[in-house]
Amino acid sequence: MTTPVLSVRDLTVSFPSEAGRVDAVRGVSFDVAAGRTLGIVGESGSGKSVTSLAVMGLLDENASIGGSVTFDGQELLGKSDAQMSKIRGNGIAMIFQDPLTSLTPVFTVGDQIVEALTVHNPKLSKRAAWDRAVELLRLVGIPRPQERVRSFPHEFSGGMRQRVVIAIAMANDPKLIIADEPTTALDVTIQAQILDLIKTAQRETGAAVMMITHDMGVVANVADDVLVMYAGRAIEQAPVDELFADTRMPYSIGLLGAIPRVDKTEKTPLVPITGAPPLLVDLPDACPFADRCPIVTPECRAAEPALVTVGGKADHRAACIRAEEIRAGRIDGGPVYPVPEVPASRFDEVPRDLREPTLEVENLTKSFPLTKGAFLKRKVGEVHAVKGVSFDVREGETMAIVGESGSGKTTTLLQIMDFAPQDDGDVRIVGTSVADLKHAREERALRRDVQIVFQDPMGSLDPRMTVFDVVAEPLRTVGTAAKDIGPRVDELLDLVGLDPAHSDRFPAAFSGGQRQRIGIARALATNPKLVVLDEPVSALDVSVQAGVINLLDELKGRLGLSYLFVAHDLSVVRHIADRVAVMYLGSFVEHGDVDEVFDDPQHPYTRALLSAIPVPDPVRERTREHIVLTGDLPSPTDTITGCAFVSRCPLYQTLDPAEQTRCETEVPALTGRDGVHVNACHYR
Amino acid sequence: MVVAVTNLTYFLAWAYLDPRANYVGRRPPLSEEQIVNLLEPRDLYDGTPLLVRWWHWFSGILFHWDWGVGPTGQSVNEQVAYRMWVSAELMLGATILLTVLGIALGVYSASRQYRLGDRIAQGTSIITMNIPIVVAALGLVLLAIAFNETVGTTVFYVTGSSSIGVSGFFPVLVDTLQHIALPTLALVLIGYAQYHFLQRSLLLDNIKSDYVRMARAKGLTKQQAIRKHALRTSLIPVTTQVAFSIPAVFTGAVLTESIFAWKGMGQYFIETITKNDIHGVVAVAAFGAVITAFGAILADIAVVVLDPRVRVS
Ligand SMILES: Nc1ncnc2c1ncn2[C@@H]1O[C@H](COP(=O)(O)OP(=O)(O)O)[C@@H](O)[C@H]1O
Ligand code: SF4
Ligand code: SF4
Ligand SMILES: [Mg+2]
Repeated sequence: MTTPVLSVRDLTVSFPSEAGRVDAVRGVSFDVAAGRTLGIVGESGSGKSVTSLAVMGLLDENASIGGSVTFDGQELLGKSDAQMSKIRGNGIAMIFQDPLTSLTPVFTVGDQIVEALTVHNPKLSKRAAWDRAVELLRLVGIPRPQERVRSFPHEFSGGMRQRVVIAIAMANDPKLIIADEPTTALDVTIQAQILDLIKTAQRETGAAVMMITHDMGVVANVADDVLVMYAGRAIEQAPVDELFADTRMPYSIGLLGAIPRVDKTEKTPLVPITGAPPLLVDLPDACPFADRCPIVTPECRAAEPALVTVGGKADHRAACIRAEEIRAGRIDGGPVYPVPEVPASRFDEVPRDLREPTLEVENLTKSFPLTKGAFLKRKVGEVHAVKGVSFDVREGETMAIVGESGSGKTTTLLQIMDFAPQDDGDVRIVGTSVADLKHAREERALRRDVQIVFQDPMGSLDPRMTVFDVVAEPLRTVGTAAKDIGPRVDELLDLVGLDPAHSDRFPAAFSGGQRQRIGIARALATNPKLVVLDEPVSALDVSVQAGVINLLDELKGRLGLSYLFVAHDLSVVRHIADRVAVMYLGSFVEHGDVDEVFDDPQHPYTRALLSAIPVPDPVRERTREHIVLTGDLPSPTDTITGCAFVSRCPLYQTLDPAEQTRCETEVPALTGRDGVHVNACHYR
Repeated sequence: MVVAVTNLTYFLAWAYLDPRANYVGRRPPLSEEQIVNLLEPRDLYDGTPLLVRWWHWFSGILFHWDWGVGPTGQSVNEQVAYRMWVSAELMLGATILLTVLGIALGVYSASRQYRLGDRIAQGTSIITMNIPIVVAALGLVLLAIAFNETVGTTVFYVTGSSSIGVSGFFPVLVDTLQHIALPTLALVLIGYAQYHFLQRSLLLDNIKSDYVRMARAKGLTKQQAIRKHALRTSLIPVTTQVAFSIPAVFTGAVLTESIFAWKGMGQYFIETITKNDIHGVVAVAAFGAVITAFGAILADIAVVVLDPRVRVS
């Protein structure tokens, strides 16, 4: 191996806090060589960001840092801010997670790229710097870079802003690029573009890349080597193929087992990792994973296991005393993680046609007026957020709507939850049309049957209400007798796997996954027939997400619920849904049974979406074909005469002019096997 | 807006002030007829229906730019014409100084958060913010007098806005500065602290923001990143605040002018109120409305210059 560009040895970072010293990073060592990519994975709070900021010298001043960071032969720790500023952006560049906030809103993107250039080359003329900025924008795929270089960040979409950030990172041909969750805030099709772009940037500059992520699929897609972090330590380290094929540390095994996969048909329950990571204050000298590990032994608590080579391979190391016993996720002839059981649903045997519909939506439409002017609002147009969507959800069934942000998923849900009467359509809930609701009493009765769970487990719970009050609220609204409320709340908390004894606590005392369980308990309070879920797991870490998904599955079977589920994560959808609709710019472009749609996607958009998702399997990732869509979702204000997908459609590009005209002028209808699998493309 | 405020004040003034009071109790006592004769031509006789009085007054302004006369017959126009500049000078100077000082201190404090400098600056600001203007002004007067005595000549004038008989550009300038220093200082002293705190907290939020970290990741030092990236964005809300605080500066000026015996709008305000000079009071209110509107417009322009997001929408 060549000498590494970056060499980190025994890095420790701790912060003072009220509870004591927080040991955020506890002795991490790794190397990254030129042209190679190191993937760092782990749950939030495991110390990934702190590690990268320590390398950059961007930690808060109250952090105490130990160990050694050698970049290009120089020791970085101990350098002053002024000395580090010569290296930052020049030798080492960084790409941050949230492109919406990482550019300064009051400067043009050109100014910000030029600044990155001139701060390291003060002799560069203004002209030359601007020319280079335009050049960089072109490199990262911004259309019409000459004009766009003078735009302000708010005029760009999230994906385009991340491209600008990458352009800034590439500006001075860095030797090391650190990317901290660069695609977490982006949609899958944009994620694919950005990952491609980072690979291009790496090829252009020959840089070493440190890719931080919590997504095993992204790791499989980009990494050469992997470092798994837990509680501030590296707990497994190996080349990517080795790590996925022969995982040795139970935590890494758990991470892989907890993710639903978009490419797998069989629906075995996910294996969640129970419990929560330890607080990083006063850690005992024991395996930090011991409380969550299914194969823990008393020796595990005797001392913290060191990161040592396993299986006789010099480049595979794990921090587990039982690592040698574990082979490919199995120990003593059984899986490390026992597979949980999900109860069967009484509807499993009933064919779909014979089940009663709990929700029927016919031609649902919603437009928002677009206004201009601060004081006198003039209507200047309409945003067609949802354009004539029809579907039904039957008893015991999960219907999922997937699509990129801005495609109209949430609006669809809110229209249903608002019981919004439709001009030229209908919404029927358990047979009752919302158009027939005359009295508030009737409306309240119908409310019992449909409840919602929101995305953000913190934002949707009132922080001043105890868990008891949160769950009791819908019961009170529907007029449950006071004496029945207490037992019912206990029953509900028990149902979602929370201890009823904790019902007098406030939401802040619970973790993200537990809060989402509280949200589910609240939704189930009135015994609804239909539960509407808006991105219920997207804010959760994978290991926690698995537990919530299993809970939803279990409740569906046990209570005979129907779900209407909105998500942008297709892997989750594949796992949980029976039926799926793919939404693009307010319309369904493909709709049908989940296996039909995922195994045999028809619409070019669905195909692109599915191929864009990286699967957690490096060997498959290398051979999979990724269709990378160009451009962003068009603005919903644009008037579209034909197929809404025409501006990004790869199939359209291959058609002859006569066929193309049809795409441009004729709106495609959903056609195919009715009720089983339909798509809205003229040529599929 | 300005028109509405002015007219509203007109009616309010009539509800609370009585021009007649100036004549009642005079020695020798004036007969009712004499009072009416004095008031009637000045549109101040309460026997005339209010709407008629109002129309006379309002049409005078509309058609002749004539703001009427006081109960003693002095023209409001004349008074306001020179007092306006005196006050504007004071308020403008004070507003600019206190904003700049507040912002500068805010930046200083923020970049030394929780260190000694920050704590001292904050402590001082908490104290000055709570000093009543009268106390501040009198304190300054005492200090200035002591200072003048120590150096042996009058460096700071404690009364009036200018000396009589000074001519020539530089002598006038120096004279003005000598007069304006104390009242301005008094206004600045009590007013700067709010910008200090506002700027400090806004800047601290911005220093922690992603784009400042990004700027540092590009290769700017922390100080450069703060100056270039955090400061400008944090100035936007401060600028809007300036417009809203002009009425407060005006109130401060009312008292300061009286204390320092400045013949400005503030002092005129007190004078007209005590003299039941309805037209004068209304003119002061109109002046207040105009400078507030003026401030708001300036702040709007400044925000547009600072914030490109406003420009497009
Ligand atoms: N400035 C700070 N002060 C105190 N604690 C911090 C600070 N920054 C990070 N931490 C703590 O360090 C730990 C690791 O955080 P982080 O590196 O951001 O995790 P990750 O990037 O893996 O999600 C967390 O427990 C976090 O609360
Ligand atoms: S050391 Fe023990 S507790 Fe830790 S991961 Fe290995 S088996 Fe589990
Ligand atoms: S109708 Fe045309 S543009 Fe639309 S998806 Fe099909 S091929 Fe593409
Ligand atoms: Mg992080």
